[in-house]
Amino acid sequence: MRIDYRIEQPVALHASFEVAGFTVLLGASGEGKTLLLSAIAGLIAARGKPFDGLPPQQRAVGYLPQGHALFPHLRAWENVAFSLRGAQRRAQALQWLERVGMADLAERWPASLSGGQQQRVALARALARKPSLLLLDEPTSALDPVTRDEVLAELIAEVHEAGIPALAVSHDPALAAVADRLVLMHGRRIVQIGTPEEVHAQPASGAVARLLGLRNVQRGRVVGSPGAQRLSWPEAEASLPLETPLPDGTLVDWHIAPAAVRLHDQSVAPADAIPAAFELRQTAPHRSYLGMRCGQARLWVEPPAGYELPAASAVSLPPQAIRCWPVENGS
Amino acid sequence: MARYRPRLSALPAALALLLLATPFVGLLLATDWRHFGFAHGDGGAVRVSLGYSLIALLPIVALGTPLAWWLARHRVRGQWLVDALLLVSLLTPPLAMGLLLASMYGPYGPAGHLLERAGVLLTNSAPAFILAQFYAALPYYVMAARTAFEGVPRELEQIALTLGYSPWRSFVHVSLPLARLGLAAAVALAWVRALGEFGAVLIVAYYPQGIPVKLWVNLQDIGLDAVYPLLWVFFLAALPMPLVLGMAVRRRLA
Repeated sequence: MRIDYRIEQPVALHASFEVAGFTVLLGASGEGKTLLLSAIAGLIAARGKPFDGLPPQQRAVGYLPQGHALFPHLRAWENVAFSLRGAQRRAQALQWLERVGMADLAERWPASLSGGQQQRVALARALARKPSLLLLDEPTSALDPVTRDEVLAELIAEVHEAGIPALAVSHDPALAAVADRLVLMHGRRIVQIGTPEEVHAQPASGAVARLLGLRNVQRGRVVGSPGAQRLSWPEAEASLPLETPLPDGTLVDWHIAPAAVRLHDQSVAPADAIPAAFELRQTAPHRSYLGMRCGQARLWVEPPAGYELPAASAVSLPPQAIRCWPVENGS
Repeated sequence: MARYRPRLSALPAALALLLLATPFVGLLLATDWRHFGFAHGDGGAVRVSLGYSLIALLPIVALGTPLAWWLARHRVRGQWLVDALLLVSLLTPPLAMGLLLASMYGPYGPAGHLLERAGVLLTNSAPAFILAQFYAALPYYVMAARTAFEGVPRELEQIALTLGYSPWRSFVHVSLPLARLGLAAAVALAWVRALGEFGAVLIVAYYPQGIPVKLWVNLQDIGLDAVYPLLWVFFLAALPMPLVLGMAVRRRLA
């Protein structure tokens, strides 16, 4: 389904993209993502397709706002049955709750449900309306971090099963990772569209790389011409060898994968190595990162398993591992 | 964790309660219990007060609720004029309000003249009595109901729209039930205000006599001994509804 909306107030915004399967619009806070959903649902003044000019009650959208907005005066099944009419509404509502695995909690009040349970009731309520488009505002924000991935997987499975195109807006890279399709927004513009694999393989800019949650996205400037180039990294007060076709003086966002950074003992470090002080260790189930301070900057390093950090350490950044994006004016 | 000690705050609270109770302790002491009896017409005054106050609640709720919702949900240019109008209605001394009502709705007033042609007499009549109570209680009801509606998250009304509800159905099925506790308090407040109104009623509807005017008449014609019994009846008749509504609200909130 093609979305093409133009908003004038309270901020000017134009967004045009295709929603297919579970599509995630990824953007930082303040980009107007919630506003775009409100516009599509017809809750604020805007022009665009689909649903142009229709009042909200005639737009076939299932809207799941942040925090889920269940009606607190209605039980779970009554929330789901809200858009249903006729003698069968209770039975139909229970079927929808069954589908999202919530049939046992049909008689509960929303306040007694967890964030994930509320989300499923809200999803059932939205699906019961038979929408042609699902709109989800920050669907991961109200979830318990421990169960988040499971709840998210469940949500996406249900959206796929319903066969309805879904647009989720978020700033959460974890949600972007499970999308069928990613739309990236920066500076109130759409800056890249693609599958998560495509976007991760070739982020269009430093801003996109930051939105994707990549570690080690830094600002710098190219010094010298191709062949004898260096990267000036003002935050670390350092200069690194660089191999790009970019002209002298280009302002760049640059990135290096934490696993590509090499750690050295300062006494035997190569000439280009930068002194780096250990700040913190971040241990995850399958890997661990070291936060190293270089001047004012923090560089994340993923050391090889069992690596012993020397007392005085330095880091070197292989030039072929550094990826640069020229910074556009104003961004 | 230190145990919460309510002693300090309890002192002024107890003092406030004591001050509130003082006049009624006076009533207890001043009532001549051995010769407790009613003046001629007291029963009629009770019927007039209760019956017409109930009737006055109907237009107050029917007209005040949409206004309160509109005020809670819309911001328009010049809204301060509406706020000022509500405040002026609250501020106007009841006696002055009675005079203003008489000047508009009385036989020589522009509105009164028109209504008299239609057969409605708004002086010393049941409609006049209800009119005075309406003006006395409406602004209080609107203020309280507006606050009740402001407590309803707008997002829930919007969700009802996205689920296919018209704005009217959304109001009935979401806004009203979610505001019901505050609206109940607003109704109780309107009831108390309407029943107790003296000044405006005195000017536009000396007859039929409700309890507040009858208290004054009893004082003039007979003396204090004829006031206290009627006052006891007034409390007995007026208190149950706001008391029960208020208790219901607090039980729900707890």
